[in-house]
Amino acid sequence: MRIVLDRPRCEGHGLCEEAAPDLMHLDEDGELVLDREEISDADAALANAAVRVCPVAALRLA
Amino acid sequence: MTDTAPPISDLDLFDDTVLVDPHPSYAALRDLGGVVHLPANDVHVLTRYDVIRNALGDWESFSSAGAIGFNPMVNAALTGTSLASDPPVHTQLRAALTANLSPRALRGLKDSIDAKADALVEELVNKGSFEAIDGLARALPLAVVADLIGFTGHVRANMLRWGQAAMQVIGPMNQRTAESFPIAGELYDWCSTVAAEDLAPGSVGRGIFEAEARGDIPPNTAGHIIHQYLGAGVDTTIASIGNILALFAAHPEQLALVRENPSLVPAAFNEVLRYWAPVHAWGRRATRDVEVDGVLVPQGAQVAILFGAGNRDPRHYEDPDAFLVGRNPVDHLSFGYGPHGCAGQGLARLEAHAVIEALARRVGRLVVGPEVRVPSNITRSIEELPVLKMAPA
Repeated sequence: MRIVLDRPRCEGHGLCEEAAPDLMHLDEDGELVLDREEISDADAALANAAVRVCPVAALRLA
Repeated sequence: MTDTAPPISDLDLFDDTVLVDPHPSYAALRDLGGVVHLPANDVHVLTRYDVIRNALGDWESFSSAGAIGFNPMVNAALTGTSLASDPPVHTQLRAALTANLSPRALRGLKDSIDAKADALVEELVNKGSFEAIDGLARALPLAVVADLIGFTGHVRANMLRWGQAAMQVIGPMNQRTAESFPIAGELYDWCSTVAAEDLAPGSVGRGIFEAEARGDIPPNTAGHIIHQYLGAGVDTTIASIGNILALFAAHPEQLALVRENPSLVPAAFNEVLRYWAPVHAWGRRATRDVEVDGVLVPQGAQVAILFGAGNRDPRHYEDPDAFLVGRNPVDHLSFGYGPHGCAGQGLARLEAHAVIEALARRVGRLVVGPEVRVPSNITRSIEELPVLKMAPA
């Protein structure tokens, strides 16, 4: 399972980072960085939570 | 594809009593179905959490083009805005709108907004009793948005009535809408003629004109963007901040929780938004026959999304009629969701978090009198909230 970012859609609200700080973070410019794109079964719940809270639907699992 | 028609209700969504206290009607509609046809308004309302969230994410089935308002005049006036368009056109318009409004663009504002909110709350605690909608709920967003866009002079004085009218006219063509169109027209006319030099140097508003001059955003869009900042960002934020005060006054134990644990501030704002959605109804149009919750929404149907109904859906939230900051409902529907998710939510969070932090830090006891509500087509807010006693922590 991979986490996929629709970069133009991301506005840097940062709710995904709050939900899954081990998987992604906003850098100093407020741009989202995916620290782990390949998601293990152990992290699937966190990844789902991050995808779910994105207010502009910029994240999805593939 | 089903051919089952949705259940029908004789409710008038924009009746005065419904607008002032919509939650009993929301519950009745939600019990009828995820989609209910209201012949009185010629709309199909979406009532349940999953139905609303799915529709908000599915712009191909539920279009915003010419469909977000409930009368043809407002839909014509909003043509060409990101609010009322679908991808791919929407994508470019949205980018122009959010370039100066996204959280990353606003990060530099946090300290000044925190300081404004703290100074206001300090002054009000010193007063001890006051009217809270003018004194705080309106004062903060008006100051923040005026400084952000760089409004000066008569425009500053008109922001409140222009912002209220811009939301009111999204309703059906009732008396409220008819009376508000001339006022919304003043805002529209001003935004059509405003130029860079009308806005304070160094403001975000001036920056939008500079972006237009550089060619970073399409020609003649700067005025439209300023229109949306004012039209969408004032009345709704005022509603939210008034709701924060009223709900903390009604639930002092919830304010105490935030005072003891300030990390609950974002959760508290999420719960305020979930509990009392600032926006009553918002439109979409079905682009095709869509099956929703086992019934048919016919192609061309005007759809009304009831954010507040979804926010109280017991299928999604346990004990939904309780106000509990600890539940942190981060997926509430009050900002919408998906491509049209509230573009100003970052700014709204900055303002609301600043208010909640200041209240938690400075206020011990908060006693209010009865709130006054006035029916309004789209924004549900408190008109007057007498604070009888605000004692220091």
